[in-house]
Amino acid sequence: MKRRAGESFTIGDEIEVEVLEVAGSRVKLGIVAPESIAIVRKEARVTREENITAARPMDPEAIAALVHHLWRPAKTQP
Amino acid sequence: MPQIRTAYFGELDYTDGTVFQFPYGLPGFEREHAFVFLQQPHTQPLLFLQSLGSSHLCFILLPILVADANYRVNLDAEDLAALHLAPGRQPRIGEDILCAAIVSAGDGERGPTANLMAPVVVNLKEQIGMQVIQTDSPYSHRQPILAGEELAPCS
Repeated sequence: MKRRAGESFTIGDEIEVEVLEVAGSRVKLGIVAPESIAIVRKEARVTREENITAARPMDPEAIAALVHHLWRPAKTQP
Repeated sequence: MPQIRTAYFGELDYTDGTVFQFPYGLPGFEREHAFVFLQQPHTQPLLFLQSLGSSHLCFILLPILVADANYRVNLDAEDLAALHLAPGRQPRIGEDILCAAIVSAGDGERGPTANLMAPVVVNLKEQIGMQVIQTDSPYSHRQPILAGEELAPCS
């Protein structure tokens, strides 16, 4: 599908996406969707999921192993 | 002196002056607004971002320059304003701001990773922090920490 500024498309019956503006490599979109549908940048969603994973308690042995690795002197360059 | 029950270090004393405010919380933890940073000699250089409100919630952080000595964080005008930093120039890591990546333990197949795409940035003077999601970042949200090395038993 190819769209120009001012044109739109729909996803299902309730979601409409309009291309508002194209400037260089950036595209400005307008989205009409029901309030129950969250619209977030993908980076934000990925970070949210990653935070939830990271918040699980880490095993003390895994922490010790990580610290041990971080202190290991960098391998000397030939 | 108020006490805090921590996820990793038992009960600790703290003072109000050591509390950092996160007005927006962190993505997924939007209601957590107050944290303290903990450091222990035996866990250097890791930092522990302990929630004041939820004793079980503690993020493990890796200072960003330890993860990558050449790391550049890019704060836009909104980020600078939210962190009460001077507009118009990028703050210096280690002087104006603390910048660190949240570590994830991974699982059996995937070793520990750090989210270098969205570092935690803290205004050291004002003690305000937020997680800054970088757009167009060359870094991954799952940057391996043990890059290119396999975990082998000590010989």
